[in-house]
Amino acid sequence: MDSVARRAAGLLWALPVAGCGGVQSALDPAGGDATGIYRLTIVMTAGATLIFIVVTALLLYAIFAPPERRAWLGSRRTIVYGGLAFPVVTLSLLLPYGLLVMRDTDVPRPGALRIEVIGEQYWWRVRYPAEDGQAEFSTANELVVPIGRPITVSVTAADVIHSFWIPNFGGKIDMIPGRINRFNFTAERPGIYRGVCAEFCGDQHARMAFDVVALEPAAFASWRSTQAQPAPEPAIPFLARGGELFRAGGCGSCHVVRGTEANGRFGPDLTHVGSRRTIGAGQFPNNIGTLAGWVANVQHIKPGARMPSYGSFTGEDLRALAGYLESLK
Amino acid sequence: MSGTRTLHVLVMLGGMIAWAVQFTIIYGVTSTLCGRGWADATLFGIGIVQAVIVATTVLAFVPTALVFMGLLRAYRSLEGEDASAATAFMMQAGILINGLSLIVILWQGAPALILPACA
Repeated sequence: MDSVARRAAGLLWALPVAGCGGVQSALDPAGGDATGIYRLTIVMTAGATLIFIVVTALLLYAIFAPPERRAWLGSRRTIVYGGLAFPVVTLSLLLPYGLLVMRDTDVPRPGALRIEVIGEQYWWRVRYPAEDGQAEFSTANELVVPIGRPITVSVTAADVIHSFWIPNFGGKIDMIPGRINRFNFTAERPGIYRGVCAEFCGDQHARMAFDVVALEPAAFASWRSTQAQPAPEPAIPFLARGGELFRAGGCGSCHVVRGTEANGRFGPDLTHVGSRRTIGAGQFPNNIGTLAGWVANVQHIKPGARMPSYGSFTGEDLRALAGYLESLK
Repeated sequence: MSGTRTLHVLVMLGGMIAWAVQFTIIYGVTSTLCGRGWADATLFGIGIVQAVIVATTVLAFVPTALVFMGLLRAYRSLEGEDASAATAFMMQAGILINGLSLIVILWQGAPALILPACA
């Protein structure tokens, strides 16, 4: 029993450490701005902890030490150095340090890649404006960025207030209907990160996340070029049948699939939905099974989402439809 | 409270009053200018927002420094004289308050020299 308790205690101590890394952690910075904020946090936390320990020790000493030994605590010298000089010097160093971090954080930079993100209940519309002869296109729930190039994300909301936050890249910015806010960062490390909505926006707020994929510049250029293309034609009859079900089911009245007659603007652009890592705003890995489950039972998975459940498809039809969606790479 | 005692209290708290005035002016003027989109407006090549903050800081700092030095001089001249304990205490408190106020006034003006206006 004792060993179980010891193990449980050990695991309990390990829990906070789990937040020190990973795809969604401000303590694992992947960009310059985030690194600056992280260092400031470490300096402040370490300094505050040290001061807290010293002050607590002095307090205990003042309470329990014999009067003749603790007398120096009340001397003028102690008060002037410990109570006045030390705080003044500490704060005078911290203030410019904090201001310099602020100055160098979230700064718009020339040549930045512009991306527009619109928060909607409960997903993210992501638009890449035309640039240098490359066509504009939209995607959803996934922010793909090149490393080493400054990024300026313009954010707003279509319905209620949301908040855009990628912990590994620092910063957090409100998405307010009718107002455009901007967030600037540079990804320095390739990898996959996770962003979240950081402002309660409704019942499914906790299920409103997105992937951030930081790619090498060449890989990003290739991705961008592919995304700007219309959807590929179904390669086999099974997928063509799925496409026909997509059309007949009226999916195109809410979703756009460029290159087909589906031109709805209400929901996410599905032109290349099969290339995304996750579906449902970061809820499930993207594959035929989860796509089928999503279509058939979205209101069970994410109650309150704007998309109704389409439970009337037969199993075979559902597989064909999900297969078609998954083929939209 | 007699007029002299009122004056002593005002002198003792002079730095804090200057700091409060500086705080009010800086926040009020900065909010107004930034809210009206004057972040980049300049006067003789100097940003208006920064100029207001620097001018307000100087205007708060100089009188506080004069009061601080005056109190310091007066306190030193007290030594050896038969001053009342209350007078000595108020001078000590005044020196401390005005000295700390000088630092705080500088802290409050520092962002103007480091951060861009309306950042």
